[in-house]
Amino acid sequence: MTKMHKQLWQGCIYLCAAVLMTACVNAIPSSPADAPAASGPLTVLEWAGYDEPQYYQPFAANHPDGDIEFAYLDQDSDAYAKMQSGFQIDVVHPCSNWWGVWVQAGLVQPIDTTRLSNWSGISPKLAALGNFDGQQYFVPWEWGFDSILVRTDKIEKMPESWGDLWDPAYAGRLSIADMPEVNHATAALALGIKDPWQTTPEQNEAIKQKLIELKPNVLTYWTGSTELSQLVASGDVWIASNVWPDTYGTLLDEGVQVAYLEPKEGRLGWVCGYGISANAEHVDLAYEYLDALISPESMAQEANDFWYGAANMDALPLIDESVVKLFELDDPTVLDRTIFYETMSEEQRAEVTEMWDEVKASQ
Amino acid sequence: MERNKLSWLTLFIGPSALWLLLLFVLPMGAMALFTFRAGSFGAEREVFTLEHYRDFLSQHSYHLLLWRSTWMSLWVAVLSIVLSYPVAHYLVFRAGDRRILYLLILMVPGWISFLLRIFAWKVILGSGGALNSLLLWSGLIHEATPILLYSPLAVVVVLVYVWIPFAALPIFASLQRIDNSLLEAAADLGSPQWETFLRVVLPLSMPGVGAAFFLVFIPTLGEYVTPLLVGGVNGIMYGNVIQSQFSRALNWPLGSLLSLVMLVVVLPIMLLFNRLIKLEEIVEI
Amino acid sequence: MAARARFSLSPFYFFLLNAFLYLPLLLLVIFSFNDSTSLVFPLRGFTLQWYRDLMQTPELIESVVNSLLLAVGSGLAATVLGTLAAIGLVRFRFAGRGLFLSITAMPLVIPSVVLAVALLIGLIQLNVPLSLWTVGLGHVVISLPVVVMIVAARLVGISATLEEAAMDLGTTFWGAQWRVTLPLAMPAIVAGFLNAFTTSFDEFALAFFLIGRQPTLPIYLYSQLRFPSRLPLVVAVAALIIAGSVLLIIFTEWLRRWGSEE
Repeated sequence: MTKMHKQLWQGCIYLCAAVLMTACVNAIPSSPADAPAASGPLTVLEWAGYDEPQYYQPFAANHPDGDIEFAYLDQDSDAYAKMQSGFQIDVVHPCSNWWGVWVQAGLVQPIDTTRLSNWSGISPKLAALGNFDGQQYFVPWEWGFDSILVRTDKIEKMPESWGDLWDPAYAGRLSIADMPEVNHATAALALGIKDPWQTTPEQNEAIKQKLIELKPNVLTYWTGSTELSQLVASGDVWIASNVWPDTYGTLLDEGVQVAYLEPKEGRLGWVCGYGISANAEHVDLAYEYLDALISPESMAQEANDFWYGAANMDALPLIDESVVKLFELDDPTVLDRTIFYETMSEEQRAEVTEMWDEVKASQ
Repeated sequence: MERNKLSWLTLFIGPSALWLLLLFVLPMGAMALFTFRAGSFGAEREVFTLEHYRDFLSQHSYHLLLWRSTWMSLWVAVLSIVLSYPVAHYLVFRAGDRRILYLLILMVPGWISFLLRIFAWKVILGSGGALNSLLLWSGLIHEATPILLYSPLAVVVVLVYVWIPFAALPIFASLQRIDNSLLEAAADLGSPQWETFLRVVLPLSMPGVGAAFFLVFIPTLGEYVTPLLVGGVNGIMYGNVIQSQFSRALNWPLGSLLSLVMLVVVLPIMLLFNRLIKLEEIVEI
Repeated sequence: MAARARFSLSPFYFFLLNAFLYLPLLLLVIFSFNDSTSLVFPLRGFTLQWYRDLMQTPELIESVVNSLLLAVGSGLAATVLGTLAAIGLVRFRFAGRGLFLSITAMPLVIPSVVLAVALLIGLIQLNVPLSLWTVGLGHVVISLPVVVMIVAARLVGISATLEEAAMDLGTTFWGAQWRVTLPLAMPAIVAGFLNAFTTSFDEFALAFFLIGRQPTLPIYLYSQLRFPSRLPLVVAVAALIIAGSVLLIIFTEWLRRWGSEE
């Protein structure tokens, strides 16, 4: 046997190992993804992390065998694109700035809220964001702020308004989100524009210039909560904009000295929630699932685990006191003091994205 | 013999030709058509327009980015090749029958999420990192700042770092064709090693170098993750624009157009490169 | 001998390069045992918490298995197709050869998100249900060029006369390929497979658009990273993959020793 043939044999051994592995894994009862749908489980397009039974307790108790299967999304836009192309799923979980386009594209069906026993506790303000032409299309679930976070041990002068992000004192220590509409809103508020969701072309031009002026202060753009908390914890970034509550909570837990501020114009806020897809095959299961999601115990679990607010106000007594205090969840005015993201049309979004690309490309 | 050749040809070329035709050429044809559509979905999709072409031509920031990214990709490709050549050389001429083992060792880091590896590097180079602590302790610096990170240079360095193992593969493959006895003969004739390398080894490995250039330069032009993670405010590349048009603005027509433009830019560079190093040797001898 | 001594720099370089490549991996392993959710020094203390959490997240394990299947499957398919195509390209002159070559190289130029959307639209129009298989189709497209180039770069060095000699001695054309070309090209084929496997294993864009309801590892991981508190879990998965890879390396070395005996 020549050496080369031995090498061939070695290759064959690997090949066999690979085939064996494939066979073994296939022998494991495979997930019923390939089974014909109609009778199968409820399917949910979900962010990983919310896919655990404690967030839909009553449903999980009723269906001990599961009866539920998840596909995962990474950002709103990709989920929308996938659905627009005809992806088959029962329940979806986009955020408020996208709700309107989902409805307009006919991707979701109206929800009969009388079929949801826990609906009564839902905050009317948040519910209104999911209501289009008098019909409820989305059930709000988790919400949170979008605000300024600072390292109190590194920064002497605390920013008081969104406009203070432009203060040269923060040069090279600021991180802002790599998200076009978020920065559009921030710059609009800094410029004193009251409604960031209905801007004129002149205002858009001013916003672009304003964002270009911010560049000397920016060390880097952050793309996700996890990346941002790394940046702040390591000390690379001392002040960050449009930060979500879970980043703040995680950093506090880690003992990093941070503060989460309320700019004088008000904090920005986002809310995400569930809709039933227009092509849903398990509508009854979907209603049962939605009702389970907004049950007070599920919602409190969500708030305690992720530091987000709960859309169901009845969950308040079950939420950890520390979380309630941190975000003033028991203050009845807190939602009114927050400027919630509203839907951007496809056109607006295209415009804002192009604006943001130009800002990033400018030298 | 002729008929025989034809059937062999079908067997060898047929499967991949069919695969690429169905799963690449046809879908990309559809995307080329997309550049004339007004929008990505619904009724807009059925409207045809030249609007996106006008949009592209009037957007100077796109042209600027494309120019800058092309230069960065060239640098990345050249540096990757220079740094990976010695590795491939070592594997072929020094590693003996351990070469596959070493090849595996070289590739394993690529199996770990790129994002996590960058996080780990930020731990080393960041303000609170090991290197800063050392510099602070030695008194060379007085305030911790991120080292190297968040600049166009960081993008180039990280990409080279990521590509070295991949660039080594084709060079490795082409060096294999060089007979060790050829080198020994040259040594016996008293030819200095560098001369043997320049006259024999390097020319014979040119097809591998060409392939490595292809494999690094082209994907780098469309790269978008690295610029976001370590590029800071000025390290953005052309791939980021495609990404943001495609996946954020959901402007598929403009996104398709931007990628077609990239294809058009790549071709002449390839031809030029082809001239310089006789790339056709990859498949012709 | 003197000439040889000068080249002894190369093992040192190889070692240094690998040190750079493995340094972040080492850090990840260390942090997977660290009692903190951030990857920041100083370390907080030893914990097995993240591994325990891991055991309670079957979706994560499932996604690792899915990714392994996908990477091995699409890697093998791309290697077989690519090797055949490389032989065809090097050994035959035929009409459309240049065209075929440039089309083979083209998937490298197209950003994968563009290809992903293109394939998604096509597959949905044809009513093909999305699954690991559809992702596999796409992964073969992007791996194929690499395999073709790597294998072709090796094959041009194997002189056709060697095959002809074998055929003169009575073997068929196929026999010549099997006995002469393939063994000689084996290291390059392995290199091609390694590349295809690696490309597929950490690929996100194609996988996201073409997957049904069986997440691959990168999809699950990126989705998890929306929450900072989930980072240690993801790091623990990476540490397990590193451990698995080390075992594979050891196995390969064992196999080599077995191969060089006798």
